[in-house]
Amino acid sequence: MLEIKNIYKAFGNNEVLKGVSLKVEKGDVVVILGPSGSGKTTLLRSIDFLEKADAGEIIFDDIHAEFARISKKTISQIRKKTAFVFQNYNLFHNKTALQNVTEGLIIARKLPKEKAIEIGKRALDKVGLSERYDYYPSQLSGGQQQRVGIARAIAVNPDIILFDEPTSALDPELIGEVLGVMKELAKEGTTMIVVTHEMHFAQDVANRVVFMDGGRVVEEGTPDEMFSRPKEERTRQFLRRILPDFDYVI
Amino acid sequence: MELNTKFMIETFFDALAGIPVTLKLTLITLLVSAPIAFFMALGKIEKRKIAGKLISGYVSFIRGTPVVLQILFLYSLLPTLLNYLVKDVLGLSFNVFQLDTILYAYIVFVLNTTAVLSEVFRSALLTVGHGQMETALTIGMTKRQAYIRIIIPQAVVSALPNICNATIGLLKSTSLAFMMSVQDVTAIAKVKAAYGYNYIEAYLDICFVYIVLCSAIQLVFKLIERYACAYKKSSRTKGGALYARNKEYI
Repeated sequence: MLEIKNIYKAFGNNEVLKGVSLKVEKGDVVVILGPSGSGKTTLLRSIDFLEKADAGEIIFDDIHAEFARISKKTISQIRKKTAFVFQNYNLFHNKTALQNVTEGLIIARKLPKEKAIEIGKRALDKVGLSERYDYYPSQLSGGQQQRVGIARAIAVNPDIILFDEPTSALDPELIGEVLGVMKELAKEGTTMIVVTHEMHFAQDVANRVVFMDGGRVVEEGTPDEMFSRPKEERTRQFLRRILPDFDYVI
Repeated sequence: MELNTKFMIETFFDALAGIPVTLKLTLITLLVSAPIAFFMALGKIEKRKIAGKLISGYVSFIRGTPVVLQILFLYSLLPTLLNYLVKDVLGLSFNVFQLDTILYAYIVFVLNTTAVLSEVFRSALLTVGHGQMETALTIGMTKRQAYIRIIIPQAVVSALPNICNATIGLLKSTSLAFMMSVQDVTAIAKVKAAYGYNYIEAYLDICFVYIVLCSAIQLVFKLIERYACAYKKSSRTKGGALYARNKEYI
């Protein structure tokens, strides 16, 4: 469904992505792991054109484009098929929870207001915020804000949702509620790419795990392969550090 | 020393007659400057290279010179320049020196206020943060829609205290219009005072007038702020995040 081929991106002299390729099929939950600075977030942001990649190709269903020469029209086509959930939620502060969800539907997708509100309420119900339609972001906890962020993402009925460290900014207590919603989505067959440090989420929910380091994909495989039989030394090193009790079988 | 109270009361009412001119100078200047300043701020933020440089140069120049100097300069330069343009270049028989001198006052104050407000707007637009713009883009809104619906409404709110400052600063600097023989509050009082050397009385009068005017402006802005901040309902926003933080940790 979505394929990224050989993507390159540099910030000045700092090469962040050095030829990364990634393939996602419908229904996949791909978790990208890696130390900070490995390019995970940049990869995700490049897929939604929040960063302009220097080279590489993107194939999304029947759209086929090169990053370096992409037109505004293609960008907006691909953005219509995707949704993005940010690390720091990025809710619109001047809009209520419900307005945050309906804004894109009404303004960008030109849905009639009543229809948008209906969809918006359903999305918020799904993430367990049916009591919070008219709350402003400043009145919501971090976990609730992120769930609004997820509701906003699912409301547009995207083919794929990109999650950029959705729980990193949350209190440990609030992480569970967000991961719970994501798990639910995965069960329903939502296609997702998730950058995260939540190893348990990767183990339980992902059907593919990609390990990145230094702007390259070091290794990828099923969670089982990756967590119990990683092939590369670099992967083992990383997993050992992040999971102290990690015990792999050779 | 004794104050001439009779003169003082008389002059006070005379000076009141100058209030419309003072307010007119302030309001029209604001109305003309604000939109220009806004687009200048936008030009700088969106990194238009040449425009950005020009704007920076302009702002530095205006901020680097005293208003009095700008008045002296323009007031002696502009009429002659205009006269040359009208008579010699355009060949019209229009007498430039008949123009109301308030026109030059408007020009000086607009030049000044535009520079001040462009920085006010720029900092206000930056407070909204890039994240919300990115979100708007990922849900398919155009940059323009994002500015109009998300960024600007928030920027205006955070700019209000500084706009209030700029307005008060402007109102006070309109007192310099007397140098261009504009009959504002200050000019009227000065003329009256010169007649019988009752300067102290006259100055006390207009001191009072300016205090009342400036207080009124502050009050108006306070009301606007209360209305516009409706979306920042949580207790956290009372006095800003810093306030809350101090309370928690001290």
